[in-house]
Amino acid sequence: MKFAIALFSAAHAPSSRRALLFAQAALAGGHEIVRLFFYQDGVYNASGSVVTPQDEQDLPKQWRNFVSEHQLDGVVCIAAALRRGVLNEEEAQRYQREAVAVGAPWELSGLGQLHDAVQDADRLICFGGA
Amino acid sequence: MSTLHVLSHSPFGNDRLSSCLRVIGANDALLLSGDAAYALQPGTAPFTTLQARSLKLFVLGEDAQARALEVPDWAKAIDYPAFVELSIHYDKVNSWL
Amino acid sequence: MAKSLLIISRQAPWSGPNAREALDIVLAGGAFDLPIGLLFLDDGVFQLAAKQDAKALQQKDLSANLQALPMFGVEDLFVCGESAAARGLAPKGLSLEEAQVLAAQEITALIDRYDQVITL
Repeated sequence: MKFAIALFSAAHAPSSRRALLFAQAALAGGHEIVRLFFYQDGVYNASGSVVTPQDEQDLPKQWRNFVSEHQLDGVVCIAAALRRGVLNEEEAQRYQREAVAVGAPWELSGLGQLHDAVQDADRLICFGGA
Repeated sequence: MSTLHVLSHSPFGNDRLSSCLRVIGANDALLLSGDAAYALQPGTAPFTTLQARSLKLFVLGEDAQARALEVPDWAKAIDYPAFVELSIHYDKVNSWL
Repeated sequence: MAKSLLIISRQAPWSGPNAREALDIVLAGGAFDLPIGLLFLDDGVFQLAAKQDAKALQQKDLSANLQALPMFGVEDLFVCGESAAARGLAPKGLSLEEAQVLAAQEITALIDRYDQVITL
């Protein structure tokens, strides 16, 4: 089964943790994840600028490791990311901002990538809100 | 076609559960996750409403356990592998974000 | 055949970027000629209230973008009648004339008809 997983909530939201656990369970069950798409506050999950207290779960790091380890396609919506200051090197240069918050394995791209994933996948699963 | 509706907000002071129950179809199921699990708090309006509707009702086991909620026999506690299987069993998943 | 996607927009237009970002998904789908539907539910129906004034809050006018939907190839527009009635909005006074007003059972059938759903 091919899954597209879209995440709409910030890294500190419980729904972001559920998204990661769902994604891990999907792969463990022998399924495929065609794309992870981070939209709205979900873009914060790709931020390398998040510092999590040592005794708390570091979700951005876990996402990064998960995507790298399984060589997944991790796309961050560029418009949502710009609005929230989650810029990669290229965008930081383009808009002359100092802070670069996102790099590999994440890619900044447009909403077309979400639609593309929906077309490619058997199921779209969205996580967000609370 | 069938839909797995997923709620994650508390049913108290929030209209997602009532809206979902208004449009949920006969072939559909409902999964309570996160604070939506509080709908299983006995003696409350959401509990009574859910009990009266013979829905296919699931709750993420970890969310019930964390909140000290007992899972009634008309709901089923599931883990993440079962969540994945449910999302395949139903034709689509509608998460009420 | 392309998979169809229903966006259910549940947020008022003045509660942050949520309503606009839901609309952006719809517009992007329309731009790719995909079968996209848009349903206004719960507070989302407030996006269709007439005579709103975005300037009062120094915001961009969302209703202008909504009016452009048919031009972007998005013609499957729906509004929940009960949500509108509960919020004191008369179906005839809504700013998006093309939107069909649906009852609860019709919304059940609508969700059933689409391949995938995003509720924001």
